[in-house]
Amino acid sequence: MKRVWIICVMAVLTLLLGGCTINQPAEADDHLNIVTSFYPIYIATSNIIDGAENVSLQCLASPDVGCLHDYQLTVKDMITLETADIFVINGGGAESFLDKAVSAYPDLIVINASDEILEEFIHREEEEGLLEEHSHEDEENSHIWVSVSLYIEEVKNISKKLIEYNPENADLYASNTEAYISRLESLGNEMHQGLTSISKRNIVTFHEAFDYFAEEYDLNIVAVVEREPGTSPSASELAEIIDLVRANDVSAIFTEPQYSKSAAITIANETGVPVYELDPVVTGAFEKDAYEKAMRNNLDVLLEALGE
Amino acid sequence: MFRYEFIKNALYAILIITPLFGIIGTVIVNNKMAFFSDALGHSALTGIAIGALLGVTNPTISMVCFGIIFALLLNKIKDIKVTSRDTIISVFSSTALALGLVILSKNGNFSKFSNYLIGDILSIVPSEIIALLVIAIFVIVFWFLFFNKMFAISLNSSLAKSKNISVKLVENLFVVLVALIVMMSIRWVGILIINSLLILPAAASRNIARNIKEYHFYSILIALFSGIVGLIVSYMQGIATGPTIVLIASLIFFVTYFIRKKIGD
Repeated sequence: MKRVWIICVMAVLTLLLGGCTINQPAEADDHLNIVTSFYPIYIATSNIIDGAENVSLQCLASPDVGCLHDYQLTVKDMITLETADIFVINGGGAESFLDKAVSAYPDLIVINASDEILEEFIHREEEEGLLEEHSHEDEENSHIWVSVSLYIEEVKNISKKLIEYNPENADLYASNTEAYISRLESLGNEMHQGLTSISKRNIVTFHEAFDYFAEEYDLNIVAVVEREPGTSPSASELAEIIDLVRANDVSAIFTEPQYSKSAAITIANETGVPVYELDPVVTGAFEKDAYEKAMRNNLDVLLEALGE
Repeated sequence: MFRYEFIKNALYAILIITPLFGIIGTVIVNNKMAFFSDALGHSALTGIAIGALLGVTNPTISMVCFGIIFALLLNKIKDIKVTSRDTIISVFSSTALALGLVILSKNGNFSKFSNYLIGDILSIVPSEIIALLVIAIFVIVFWFLFFNKMFAISLNSSLAKSKNISVKLVENLFVVLVALIVMMSIRWVGILIINSLLILPAAASRNIARNIKEYHFYSILIALFSGIVGLIVSYMQGIATGPTIVLIASLIFFVTYFIRKKIGD
């Protein structure tokens, strides 16, 4: 009999504990709940809606996750999406779990920040003959926020769509966006000026996060350490990268704070090329100027690594 | 391929790790502890998770501490007569594995730790090779001091007791040693395959050995051979090194198995 009691008490406790997290207070109808998929999109959106009333902002992936490769939705994420009115994403394949989330919540408004940017970018590249035709068809690179100019386009996209869906705050969003973009433009100028003087431009990056960044600042990525983030290169891949580094007079290997440095250190030990850390702005504190801070820091690192 | 420093480092590490695994494996196979060492390997995940919770960058220390506690605990409860021994080990193994997975996947990013599953011997650096060497010396000293006692226990533990051998102490020392080796090499070998590397060489050797000396010798030889050939094959084929080593070892196991059958006929 005692055992039956214990089981009953445990069952009730489980229900109570479960209930606490699921039953969030019902929200007023005029309240707008915006959810962003991950860190850089959160930073962009938080700058746009700064000071808006009746609007709340949440980030789905916690700010220490990094790029969303292989991200798996947790129960908590599904609950967050359940209460969301607008879901802001980077798009372009960065959110691999997206199909699942969207099919579960067909009424959810999804704002795709990379809308038209990626297409345009690829189109332009193809016209300039820089890309093999349709080479990006099966797997496009979604890390566009790492390039300051494309990040500005994303901010514009998000702002335009937010104004459309939430016209009450249109004036505020427009003026916030204008202010943020002018800050970002001066950041972009600063980086261009800083990086025109450097003489060495051949680098190795950790994964394909810095492709658009390198394009913008005319850096030449000779090789990437991990083709598939989270999977160490095999022996022959390592050998291939080492040979490329030696043959192309590479000046620096850049790791990312979110991933293990061990493979990069192996390459550095082999070739004597120093290792530095570049931040693709996917983790950090929820501060409005986080993007600018991280990029200025990247600029310092690049100047130290590639300057005279 | 040996013009690359990292291949040389991996080779040195293999030259140290595989003979150790070969020799320790003989006792594990003899004492029917294969399931025990498997559970120990899985518990590494909890060790890593505890390290991650404490915020240390190198989880080796938390892994070794947790591994030793886990091994002693397993050794203690295995004599409890409530349920059978393999059930108890399985309960502990699953608990440790699940606990590790829960903590590490808390924020939906388990992929960061996937290296620990299949190992990453290509990224070993000289200082870590020296750490392995220290462990190896430790094992060899232990081996010479305790081999006769361990052998007596594996033959017949009550007989060993009557000869004034402290069975519990020797057993505990041995499991601590196994925990130490497993945790120190798991980063290079991988959680999923570390037990295969412990068991396969000894099991293959048992197929063909005629006495205890041959048993040890063949086990070390098979382990070494699998390690070196596995490294070379994985380099040439562009595949993961750890699993290739295990595949070579299992191939040898099947070959020796049929040799024994032939001899038996």
